[in-house]
Amino acid sequence: MGIDDVRLRDLLEQSQDLHSDAMTTTRAALDELVELGHDARRGREEFVAMAPVDEATRRATLMGGLPKSGVLAAAGLGTAMVALLASPAFADKAMDVQMLQTAASIENLAVATYQTALTLDFIGGASANAVVKAFAMKTKDQHAQHAEAFNAATTRLGGKAQDQPDPVLLGVVDNAKPSLTGPAQVVDLALELEDGAAQTYVANTGTYSNKNARSVAASIMGVEAQHVAVLHAVKALVAGGAAELIALPPDATKLPAAAGSVGFPNSFYPTTDARPANEGAVQ
Amino acid sequence: MRRRNRKQEPLAISEVELDRLTRDLDDAHHAALPSMHESLAEWRESDDDVRAGITRLVSTPASRRAFLLGGGAVLGGFALVGSGVGSGVGAAVTRTRASVPAAAGQKLTGDLAVVALAASLENLAVGTYQAGIDAANKGSLGDVPPAVVTFAQTAQSQHQDHAAAWNGVLTGAGKKAVSGVDQTVKTSVDKAFAGVKDVPGLAKLALDLENAAAATYLGAISAVKSPAGIKTAASIQPVELQHAAILYFLLGQYPVPDAFAKTTTARTTSDKIG
Repeated sequence: MGIDDVRLRDLLEQSQDLHSDAMTTTRAALDELVELGHDARRGREEFVAMAPVDEATRRATLMGGLPKSGVLAAAGLGTAMVALLASPAFADKAMDVQMLQTAASIENLAVATYQTALTLDFIGGASANAVVKAFAMKTKDQHAQHAEAFNAATTRLGGKAQDQPDPVLLGVVDNAKPSLTGPAQVVDLALELEDGAAQTYVANTGTYSNKNARSVAASIMGVEAQHVAVLHAVKALVAGGAAELIALPPDATKLPAAAGSVGFPNSFYPTTDARPANEGAVQ
Repeated sequence: MRRRNRKQEPLAISEVELDRLTRDLDDAHHAALPSMHESLAEWRESDDDVRAGITRLVSTPASRRAFLLGGGAVLGGFALVGSGVGSGVGAAVTRTRASVPAAAGQKLTGDLAVVALAASLENLAVGTYQAGIDAANKGSLGDVPPAVVTFAQTAQSQHQDHAAAWNGVLTGAGKKAVSGVDQTVKTSVDKAFAGVKDVPGLAKLALDLENAAAATYLGAISAVKSPAGIKTAASIQPVELQHAAILYFLLGQYPVPDAFAKTTTARTTSDKIG
């Protein structure tokens, strides 16, 4: 298979070091949230409305963003939206907090989904491609860190941490579980979740009123997009019966030409399948 | 671009299948463009907001000032050569307004200075990929795998789209489009490019550029005031990181090394553009 487990471990360790550097940025944003919270309590203005995000955009994010394609489109979202909007709790919560809670709920679901996938022999067992297995493990950990970051931002804005999965997407994942009979199906489900997360965070980044909450989301959206890129490439190679080319380092000479671009289909990251802002809010 | 001449093993993967996937993805790309155009139109319509953002600069938070005025960043693995970025920080922070003095002969400040910086970085990426493609065509990089050819052409095309988007903002605000590049970064790129002898060398250089662009956009998201500007940067930053992920993969490195994107290699509006 051309996979060097020792090298893979080395790479994972190196990436862990890089991650520690990256955490500094996010921690700085979270620290700023704390400082700004203190400022706000002293009656200063910086805590709220740091950027003039227009109400129409926020409303569009709240009401819109329903998926137009894929399995998520069939998840009965209209009903869910009506129920959420009718909830008294909804009216009481700041939109930033709801978006952060929804983000945490998506991350919680991603962690659980990768955990489930890793129990499958062809993802986490003896018959698994080593790179795919390592990706599933590492990505699960990254999502756990994202959930932690979103929840930290939530609590620092005065909201409750979200430890539950997105209720609508949970139904999608539960429905898909019986069909997870091979790597292709797992990759499809992961791709749907990752792309939904990325699109949601891209959409929300333009909507947060609090600058530091926005920075936390912005520092995560591109990482989900990278997961998407990898999964697109894996999907194409698995679909083409060339799973052996999923290796680190890859045999670039054998990769088909299309493999070079299949991972990044859009010049601009879309938001048409973004999740509604309050879908995963704490009720 | 010179492709590998040696006889290759038959590909188990179906080119037809991949072509179909690519066409599907291309359709998806075009589907995303209307949303992007809406965002840009929104920015043009809110030109007053852009201008207001400029005037608000005097009383901006420290992080915004740092982004707009320079932070002494380095580009990837190699330090900037002769950029003056580091030495200029002290002087820059004493100024009250950021500006892009060499942006097509016009002085830009505030959000528009960030837009010009973004356009110049995209132009530099386009030019660097073109230089790589030219070098490959001359045979200077040895055998070039087909997937690398496709990567370079597609990434270059997307950077052209990004540059056009940013320049659309400038012209929409009554300013000149930026046709030049970030000269501060180019100085380093030129030096590094002179040492590129093969595909991995070019890939490492491209990776540094992609990461610098992504870091700049992440910084911009915190720095700019215009909501449409934030949206535009947010729609591009993930794409630059996707380019980076594929480059990491091609280089044999783990493709998603960080759980959180970084701003450590972000460029600032103190860079020289021209």
